Amino acid sequence: MMPSAARKSTAKIIVMISTLLLTAPGFGQNTIEGDWMLYLYGPGIGNPGSNEAKPSIEGKLSLNQAGRGWTGHVEGGPVSVDTKGNQIEILVDSRDLAGFRFFRRLQGEFTGQAMMGSFTIEGYTEQSEPGGSWIAKRFEPPQPSQTRGPVDITGIWTPAPGVDFRKYSMDLTDEAASWFENYLAHYDHPNVRCVSPGIVAMVAWGAYPFEILDSMGRLTFLYEVDSEVRRIYMNGKAPPEYYPPSAMGFSNGNWNGGTLTIETQLLEGNIRDFRGEPVSEGARMHEQYQLSEDGNTLSAVITLLDPKNYKQPPIRRRKWVRNSATEIYPYECDPDSFYRQMYNEDKLDMYFGRSQRRLIE
Amino acid sequence: MVDHIWKTGLFMLLLLTSGAVYGHHSFAVEFTAQRTITLTGTVAEVWFRNPHVRYYVEVVNADKQIENWDVRTSSPSLLVRKGWTKNTIRVGDNIVIKGHPGREGRKLLSVISIRLPDGSILGQGPGPTEYDTTPESQP
Repeated sequence: MMPSAARKSTAKIIVMISTLLLTAPGFGQNTIEGDWMLYLYGPGIGNPGSNEAKPSIEGKLSLNQAGRGWTGHVEGGPVSVDTKGNQIEILVDSRDLAGFRFFRRLQGEFTGQAMMGSFTIEGYTEQSEPGGSWIAKRFEPPQPSQTRGPVDITGIWTPAPGVDFRKYSMDLTDEAASWFENYLAHYDHPNVRCVSPGIVAMVAWGAYPFEILDSMGRLTFLYEVDSEVRRIYMNGKAPPEYYPPSAMGFSNGNWNGGTLTIETQLLEGNIRDFRGEPVSEGARMHEQYQLSEDGNTLSAVITLLDPKNYKQPPIRRRKWVRNSATEIYPYECDPDSFYRQMYNEDKLDMYFGRSQRRLIE
Repeated sequence: MVDHIWKTGLFMLLLLTSGAVYGHHSFAVEFTAQRTITLTGTVAEVWFRNPHVRYYVEVVNADKQIENWDVRTSSPSLLVRKGWTKNTIRVGDNIVIKGHPGREGRKLLSVISIRLPDGSILGQGPGPTEYDTTPESQP
C-alpha cells in the first residue's frame, strides 16, 4: 500500500493535472469544433410580434480551433468565442432594421452535441430587444422538402420579419477590406442615385413585395423595388454568348422534391447589402426556396459565393407571406433630390471625385 | 364634415398601424436615431418620388431666420398603400414634424410623425426601419 504522504502527493498531482486540463482552452473544446445551427428565442427578437414558441432568428455557427482559442463565424461573419470548461460565450454583431450595429452576447454551456443558454443585447437598437434564450444543434445539410415538386409558388409575396441574423460584419479578404475601408454608404451606395443594388442585396431586402410568375419554362420574379425583373430558367438554358454581367445576373433553377434551388451567375460588380461591402463580377449566388405546408409562407436561404471578397460565404435567410390583397406598385426613381442635396451642401466635387468608388470589378 | 371625419379617421388609423419604413439605404448613415426633435414649419416643396419622399420645409429659428429643412419619409409605393399620397401634404401647409435629425448638424429630418393643419397626425412608427410590418391596408 502506498504511504500516506505519497498518496497525498499523488492526489495533489492528479488534482492539479485535472484542473489544468479542465481549464485549459484546448481541453474538451474539440467537441464543439465544426458547424452548428444556432436558434434564438424570445419575445420581440427580430420581430416585435414574435413569441417564444418558435425560434425567431436562426443562423449557421462555425467553430474552428485556432491555437489555444477559437475562431467563430455566424452566417459567414466573424464572431468572438470564449470557452472555459464547458462554458461558452459568443458575441455576435448584427444590424437592426434602421442600420445600427448592436451585439447579442450569448452565454451558456455546451456538450458535444448541443449548446444552450441565454443572451442579452448590447448597444443601441432602434427597436429594442429584451434578450432571450438560445440553443445550438449540430449542423445537418438541409434536406430537400419531402413535398412532391414542383410546388406552386406563383403569386405576390410580402416580406415577413424575423429569421435572419442580419449579421453586421463579414469576413472580408484583405483586398475587399481595403476597398471597403473608405466606402461612404450615403454617397457610394447605388440605390441612393436610383441605380439597382443588384440581386444579392435585393433578394434579402425587407421592404417590398415581389411577384412570381410561372410560364414558358421559366419562373419570373417581379420585384417592386427598382421595378426589377429576374428570369429563372427551369429548362437548363445556358446564357447566350456574350451575355453581359448584370445586376440580376443569369439564373437557372431546378426542383428537388419541394425545394427550389436557384444558381445565379454573370453578376456584375455591385454591393452585398446596405453597408456596401463589394460583390465582385464573377461572383455567384445560391438560393434554396421552400414553401410551408399551408402554402402561405415562402422561405429562402441565400448564400453568396465570392471568394475574391469573402473568406467565408455570407448567408442570409428570408421569409415572405403570400399576399393576395396587394399588387406590385409602380416604382420610378428620380435621383434629382440626391444631387440637389449635395449641390446645396457644396459636395458635388467630392461626389464626382469618388466616381471610381462606384465601379466595382 | 363627413369627409373631414373620414380623413381624421384614416390618419388616426395610419398613426396606429403604420410600421416604420426605410427602404433603400441605412438610416444609420445620415440620421441620429438616439435624438428626436420637433419642428414647426411651412411646406415649400413636395417631392413625392423614389427613392424617398421629401418635403422641403421652411422653419423660422430662434433668431427669426428662415431655415430650410429636408424632411424625409419612406418611398411612395409604401406610403400610398396606407393612403398617404402626394396630395396629403401640400405646398403652403403649416405642419409640425417630429423626427430624427441629421448627423453633424445637417438640416435633415427623418419623420416619426407629422401633424397636419387639421390636427390629424400621420405616423411612421417609432423610427425609420428597413421594412414595413403593417398589414396591407386597402385604399
